[in-house]
Amino acid sequence: MTRQQARLFAIVSSTVVTIAFLAMTVDTHRQIPRLTNEDKLTPQVLAGKHVWHKFNCTNCHTLLGEGAYYAPDLTKIAIQRGPEYIRAFMHDPSRFYDEQKVRRVMPKQNISDQEITDLIAFLDWIGHIDTQNWPPRRILVSGAAIPGTDTGQAAAAPASNEPVALGQALFNATPPGCSACHSISPGVNLVGPTLANMGTRAAQAIKDPNYHGSAKDVEGYIRESIVNPNAYVVPGPTFSADGHSIMPGNFAKDLKPEQIDHLVAYLASLK
Amino acid sequence: MKYRSQAVAYWYFAVAMGLFGLQIAFGLLAASKYLGPDPLINVVPFDIMKVVHTNLLIVWVLTGFMGGTYWIVPEESRTELYSVKLAYIQLGLWVVMGVTAIIGYFFRYTAGTKLLEQPLPHKIVIVVVMLMFLYNVAMTIRRSGRFTTTEGVLVGGLLLAALLYLPSIIPFDNYTLATFYRWWTIHLWVEGCWEMIQGSMLAYLLIRLTGADREVMEKWLYVIVGLVFISGVIGTAHHYYWLGVPHYWLPVGGFFSALEPAPLVAMAIYAYSAMRRSGLAHPNTLAIHWTVGSAVFTMFGAGLLGLAHTWPAVNKWTHGTLITPMHGHAAFFGAYAMIVLAMIAYSLPQFVSERSEPGRPSDYWAFWLQLAGMFGMTISFATAGIGQVYLERILGLGFLETQLKIQVHFLMLLGAGTIFATGVAIFIWNFFRHRPTFEMAAAVDEPGAPLRPVRTPA
Repeated sequence: MTRQQARLFAIVSSTVVTIAFLAMTVDTHRQIPRLTNEDKLTPQVLAGKHVWHKFNCTNCHTLLGEGAYYAPDLTKIAIQRGPEYIRAFMHDPSRFYDEQKVRRVMPKQNISDQEITDLIAFLDWIGHIDTQNWPPRRILVSGAAIPGTDTGQAAAAPASNEPVALGQALFNATPPGCSACHSISPGVNLVGPTLANMGTRAAQAIKDPNYHGSAKDVEGYIRESIVNPNAYVVPGPTFSADGHSIMPGNFAKDLKPEQIDHLVAYLASLK
Repeated sequence: MKYRSQAVAYWYFAVAMGLFGLQIAFGLLAASKYLGPDPLINVVPFDIMKVVHTNLLIVWVLTGFMGGTYWIVPEESRTELYSVKLAYIQLGLWVVMGVTAIIGYFFRYTAGTKLLEQPLPHKIVIVVVMLMFLYNVAMTIRRSGRFTTTEGVLVGGLLLAALLYLPSIIPFDNYTLATFYRWWTIHLWVEGCWEMIQGSMLAYLLIRLTGADREVMEKWLYVIVGLVFISGVIGTAHHYYWLGVPHYWLPVGGFFSALEPAPLVAMAIYAYSAMRRSGLAHPNTLAIHWTVGSAVFTMFGAGLLGLAHTWPAVNKWTHGTLITPMHGHAAFFGAYAMIVLAMIAYSLPQFVSERSEPGRPSDYWAFWLQLAGMFGMTISFATAGIGQVYLERILGLGFLETQLKIQVHFLMLLGAGTIFATGVAIFIWNFFRHRPTFEMAAAVDEPGAPLRPVRTPA
């Protein structure tokens, strides 16, 4: 091979791949409006994008898995947590996470209520982008989903005094040992059914014609499931025997009323 | 020095050294925040440390590239620079841009887009500086009429780098589309233009240091450039997988990304075989260390560690975890930091008469401490990242709980980072400890192709 041939190789190959790349780019432009729901790209979403940039969010968090790796991924956060939680969190993150316990907390931002509203709209739009099924399993900000992984002090101690945080700590503590049988990961059924998306699924369960319990709302349903596991038995191979739930029936007696409140608050927050 | 105007390069390298030191200081501070709780959380939170750390990297490496170019082009074209004054004005403007951008970040004056956080006025100054730079280089070459392949690849890389910076200025409403084009700048810089720059600097240094035949070296340089583009252009797709783009980017990106190590392996073989076959031993063994080190560490950091998480089925789990900085740190250091340090190690004895060609023992400490430190940091990020992928992404443990469980790796990171910083400190100290004398070389030492200092009237 001579130098001229080598140069020809460099020029021709670069040209060919560049043309192929540009062709795919043109096609991508054609498809992106559909994949990203561009029709829902409202001025408020755009304002929220501006807020995202203004507060330098991407240098701690990832969005669509891109950014820095110091803080959780926020791709699906608006769907997972809902607007009320995010608003309260943005106003004062230290209410939800104690830096002494989790070693890291978001600094309080000098952010207006309107900016939070815009940001939530933006994050909600991001959450609905067709990401080719990424992430393959839900990324949780906090909480242990698998028994045996919650042995650390942090998981056992509540991150704050909010009912949700207290409920989460109780969920992972033994007793009552909820997490020994229930995961909070979607599709991960241990002895008992997964409690992922509990807040959403409870609302569906009470509308089910097979449901004969007395609960009228999500909280009521979860409370009933804890204190009276037989009110409604979720179908599944290991969940029940002879029509009776295998879940212990002692929680109404052994847990304090406020502990049950905390558990209900925590499980209802899983959406 | 063969040409008086090559002295310009010294001041570019001096600025690069200062910024390099700052980059590492802020990097260490950012790393310490992984251990938490952070006493400085309300003064300089992590996001500011991170944006300063990464931007300083980009600015100092580019400063080094510009300095290296101002060193190489006069020698390759055998003439003085077109305008020394313009080169200094350019440096001044560049420093003002860089310093004000960094200060601005402390007040969150930022565009907020990863790695391209420079606010619009700064972006415009960057473009102006690039134009001044390219004009100066082009006019130098034009005046001499001598244009080698090595400098052709170098200038081509710089020209493309300037061109590909432009998409970052265009505002896009759609976040997916904005990110799509952001990678045109970032990815095609590092995997296209900067590799051209690295390849040509490598060729320049190998020709000088080993006496390898120019004809052969430049032929293989073309092959490397071809391989860079074949794999790198469509390889951009490995940043696209999960952004909200059509599905075909996954298989296409997986295939071409898997080819990306090819040019890097080729570069390592290129450097190694040039060393092996050369009959001549250049006295500057320090520069040989950095040159061959750069080629080998690039193969490891950019090639191997990139390949480790580029395949879509793997990237699905590793995307957005500490696996990315594992690759990022080793790749940037090996490919770009080390090649600039190689240029400095090669040229410094010619700027500073008190500095001997082979260097002092402490220069070799600087080399090995940086290498060991960066290797340790890479391993720290890798082990932290593997732990994170397993606990958080596969088992479904929460992000915060996972980060607590991998604290020991952050301790490792800080330890290795301190070793690295020590090596950097020695390098910088040795750079500045003697005043530059800028003595002109009496004889010309390019083996095989004797050069005469040609002075073309301005």
